[in-house]
Order: sequence, then C-alpha cells, then structure tokens
Amino acid sequence: MSLIDGQKLSAYMVENLPNSHLLKVLGIRKGAKLVIQSKQPFKGPVVVKVGNRSVAIDYDVAKEIVIKEVA
Amino acid sequence: MGCHSVAVQEISDANKIKILLMGNPNVGKSVIFSKLTGVHVDSSNYAGTTVDYTVGDVNFGSGQGVIIDVPGTYSLEATSEAERVAISLLEEGADVIICVLDATNLERNLDLAFRLKEYPIPIVYSLNLVDVAERQGIKIDVDKLAKELGSPVIPTVAIKNVGLRKLMTTAIKLSKERKEAEPKLEDEERWDKIKEIVNKVQIQIEKEELTFIEKLENWTIQPWPGIPIALLVLVLSLGIVVGGGKALRALILLPLVRDVIQPLLAKIVSLVIPAGIVRNILVGEFGILVIGIEWPFALILPYVFLFYVVFSFLEDSGYLPRIGVLADGVLRRIGIQGGNIIPMMLGYGCAVPAIIGTRAANSYKERVMVAALVSFAIPCASQSGAFFALLGDKSIFSLIFVYLVSIFAMLSVGNLLNKIIPGKSQPLLLEVPNLLLPDKDAFKKKLKLRMKSFLVDAEGPMLIGIIIAAIIAETGLLNGISKLITPLVEGWLGLPKEASLALLLGIIRREMAVLPLLELNLNTLQLTVGSIVALFYLPCLSVFGVLAKEFSVKWALFVGLITTTSAFVFGGLVNYIGSIIMGLIG
Repeated sequence: MSLIDGQKLSAYMVENLPNSHLLKVLGIRKGAKLVIQSKQPFKGPVVVKVGNRSVAIDYDVAKEIVIKEVA
Repeated sequence: MGCHSVAVQEISDANKIKILLMGNPNVGKSVIFSKLTGVHVDSSNYAGTTVDYTVGDVNFGSGQGVIIDVPGTYSLEATSEAERVAISLLEEGADVIICVLDATNLERNLDLAFRLKEYPIPIVYSLNLVDVAERQGIKIDVDKLAKELGSPVIPTVAIKNVGLRKLMTTAIKLSKERKEAEPKLEDEERWDKIKEIVNKVQIQIEKEELTFIEKLENWTIQPWPGIPIALLVLVLSLGIVVGGGKALRALILLPLVRDVIQPLLAKIVSLVIPAGIVRNILVGEFGILVIGIEWPFALILPYVFLFYVVFSFLEDSGYLPRIGVLADGVLRRIGIQGGNIIPMMLGYGCAVPAIIGTRAANSYKERVMVAALVSFAIPCASQSGAFFALLGDKSIFSLIFVYLVSIFAMLSVGNLLNKIIPGKSQPLLLEVPNLLLPDKDAFKKKLKLRMKSFLVDAEGPMLIGIIIAAIIAETGLLNGISKLITPLVEGWLGLPKEASLALLLGIIRREMAVLPLLELNLNTLQLTVGSIVALFYLPCLSVFGVLAKEFSVKWALFVGLITTTSAFVFGGLVNYIGSIIMGLIG
C-alpha cells in the first residue's frame, strides 16, 4: 500500500520508493522501518519517524512510497 | 592531490590552522561553533554560490586558528547548493575536520562521516548530544566507534561545554598529521557497512515513558493540538514584540530621548549655531538631531530588537519547521511549499534576509513568489514599529485592519502569481529537528549579527532619509514638491498635502512612509488610508538592491511598479469606501 494510506502510529517497512537522493540520505530507503507520526489535512505532508528523527514527506511524494505493514 | 597540499601550505604559512566544522543539519554544529570561537565572528558568502557560511577565530595555547562553520549537509552529492559549498571547501583543503555526529541519530550521521574520509584531511568526530541520547535510552561504545571510523571520537554535550576542550586539543594535534584519502564506497556498500557498525556500537533500550519534550515534539506536528499551539505561539510572539516594544518605548527610550538627549543637543547647538535655517535643520521641529534620534532609536529599534529576539529563539528551538509542516497543505494551494513559511516569517523582520533566505533549496518559481510576497504585502519590523507608533494609541481597529489586508493581499497575490509564473513548486521533504532550549552563547551571537546588520543596513539609509526630510521641511521645499502630487494626495487619498513628504521618503525606507504621518494630526480614516498606502508602497532601497541582485533589475522595477500602483489603488479605495461609511454614520 501507499504511505498515504498507512495508519497513524503504526509501523511499516519501505518496499519501494521514488529515486530521490534526499529521501535516501534522510534514511528512507528500501527495507527501512518507519512509524507514521502524523498526517496533515488538505493533502499536507506525512510525518514519519525513521530511527530517532521525524521526517516530513510531501503528500505527492508519500503517495509514491510503497509500504508493508510489520508486526 | 597536489593542489590540496598547496592550499594547505598557504594557510599554514599564515600560521593559522584551518578547521572545517562539518555535520548534518540540526546536530548542534552552530552551538559548538559559537563555544569554540571568540568574539570575532563573521558571516560570509561563498564565491559563486548563494550559501552563507560563518568564519570565526580561535585561540589556543600555542597558536591561532580559524574555524569555518560549513553549511550542514546530509551527504556530499552536490544535489543542493549547501552540499556544493561543502565540497568546494573540502577541495580547497584544510588542516583538520571536526565532524559533528548526533548521538541520538548515529546511523543517519555516519553517511557524511564516511564520505569525509574520501578527502586527505585528518578528522576528529564529536559525538554530540550524548546526554539527550542517554535520556532516550541510547548507549554508544565510543572506543569501538573510533576504531570503526579510524579516527578519534570525542563525546560532547556542546550546550554544557562538556568535551569541547578535549575536542579542540585533539583537533590541533591531528592538524599536524597527514592523512591519505580513502577510496569511495558505493552507496549500498556504505549503507550496509554503516548498519553493521551501528549494530556493533549502539545499544538502544526501548522506553515506556515519553518525556515532556518528546510529547511536545509529537503534539506540535499533529494538526490537533499542533495548530492551536502554533496560533498560541504566534499570538505570544506578537504580544512580546508589540507589548514589549511599546513598554520599552514608552517607559525607557522616549523619556530618555525627549527629556535628556534632545534638550541637551538643542542646548549645545544653540550655543554654537545662531538661530536660522541651519539651526532649524539641526534641532528644529523636524531637525536631524531631533527625529534623527527619536525615530530610529526610540520608535523602531525596540520592535526590531524584540522581533529578532523572538524569531532567533523560535529558530534555534527547532520549532519553525513544525509550522512549515502544519502550513504546507494550505500554502501549497498558492503554489508554495510549507518550508517557505520560514523566510516569509523572517520577512516580518526584514525583507532583505528573507529574500536571501529563499535561496535555500527551492524551485525558482517559489523563490520569485516568496520574494514578491515579502516585498509586496509583508510589513517589516521597522514598518510595523511605525504602524504601532502611529495606530497603536489611536485606533487598534485600524491596526488590525491593516494586518488583515496584508494577509488577504498575500493570499490573493500568491494565488495570482501561482497561475502566471510557470513551473512547479518543489515537494516538501525535510527533517523535523528535535525541540530544544536554545543555547545562550549561540543565541547571543546570532542576535548580535542580526542587530549589527540592521544597524548598518537600515539605520544609515534612514538617517539619510531624515536628513532629506529635515532639509525639505525646514527650507520650505516641501511646498513646491507637494503641489505636484497634491491632486493624488488630497483628492484621491483624502490626506493633507504635507503627507506627500511620507510618500517621498518612503522611497528610501519603508517606515519613512509612515512616520511623517505621526506629526500630522490625522483622523482615523486618514490614518488607515495612510497605513494602507504605506503597506503596499515601494519596498525600500535595500530591497530594490537585493531584488535586482538576486533576480534582475527589470524584475525589481516591475515589483516597484506593481506595489506602488496597488498602494494608490487600495489606499484610494479605502478612502472612498471609508468616506461613504463615515457619511452614512455621520
């Protein structure tokens, strides 16, 4: 499923993502684990926690990130 | 390689060791910088780019050095201006690198740590924020990490001065050594290696309880209660700037200027210069030594100072990007991504750094839009100070009205520009930094730099404006000039003809379009009209300069034309509609 369809406070693993260098250096890579911290109204960014930091991801970019639920 | 050693040679000839301070954004690099450097700190622009970096001197037992605070980067891929500057500085060579690592986020930070090894410069790592990491249940084996990185690692808590002395002595010792460049690892290879290292050196204990700061960090990026918190912060900030500025002005600065400094100057001048035009120009009603001191120092300075106090505090606390995240959804409607709210807010201080601030990482379209909005509809702190002085006592309603018009204009112009200017805005992709209490030293240094540039860039032109005003007013020249624009000023705007002085001086500084109205005894409608005209009127000379430099002269002129036209159109409309309403009531 897409990152924008994820549930707040749930943990996911990144399965696929657009080729963006900045995403990668921010820790959002294939296989990375993340927790959705918040979603914003009006197609605002999705904030995810990767490691110990929060990263805000634009709605349209988040749409392209494919995630899988992890237990 | 040859060129590196030459560059290093040149610098060691000067007997100063050259230290590059590097690290990811938001790892406390600037705090380390301000603790290690002395009083002398300057902000510079890297030749050929648009990124500023700061250079400071450092003295130690046996010699001297310079520390360059390299812009924070996550990597060294030259994908952003900041990274390009970092790479150029590395290629110029240095004696030693201090690389700051965030102990709470080791894995991400190690990417840059590894990339730096590709340069033939010795490195010392500062493992910063170890106290926060400990609170979060993270333990890092420093010796093991040093072994993996092949360079010394010094644990530090920069904000409390812990470990900095050792960091500095290690850096100096290393600066005398030579180091071979290491081959570049492929991305995947490097990331695997980093993961392996983190697993080896770091133990993380999951904690049940969240600290208050962690809860606050979480709240401030949720729509609820994040948006109410943001509004509260804005109202509080406004309260501090407006209320505090008013108190400073009324209780300390105005009495000091009016009862002590001005009478003293008047006395001295009247002893030296005989009564007449020259004496009037100096200490008359509009005299240079009268308003030249009162306006800049008593009316404007307190607001500018408090604005920068509040803004720098919010900036250093890591709060501002959170407002950007919350505002992104709405701002994107007008084609601007949320991160741009930071230069826009800075615009309420001064348009010049705000326009320069748009350089950061955004698309050209967004730069143009933010710069246009800042020049067009956002009053700077000096101008706000003038509005408060003019309207604060007489009509709070008009004051609120002016700011509402400003926001309305911003949204409609933004919407319009979004449709005319081709291109797309860059998607928002940003790390939300931890919230923290700003460090006192770093805060003071930043405030000092900002006040210094305000005093140099703003007070100078303002004094020139006041000198022109004094000459025009005291020599009767004003009457001549006023005649030319009287139809516009009296007929269309409904202001007395003396108000044309404000329009003339407004070309030089934004607040000068407001301050002369103080002396005119206007009614509420006239005050409002005057303020609306001033709000949209020409951006000041420095803004013209920066617009021409950053974009083009043509564009600066275009902005000037649009702002001036709207100033008269809107001012006239307010006068027209206001007169009708007044007529109905009266």
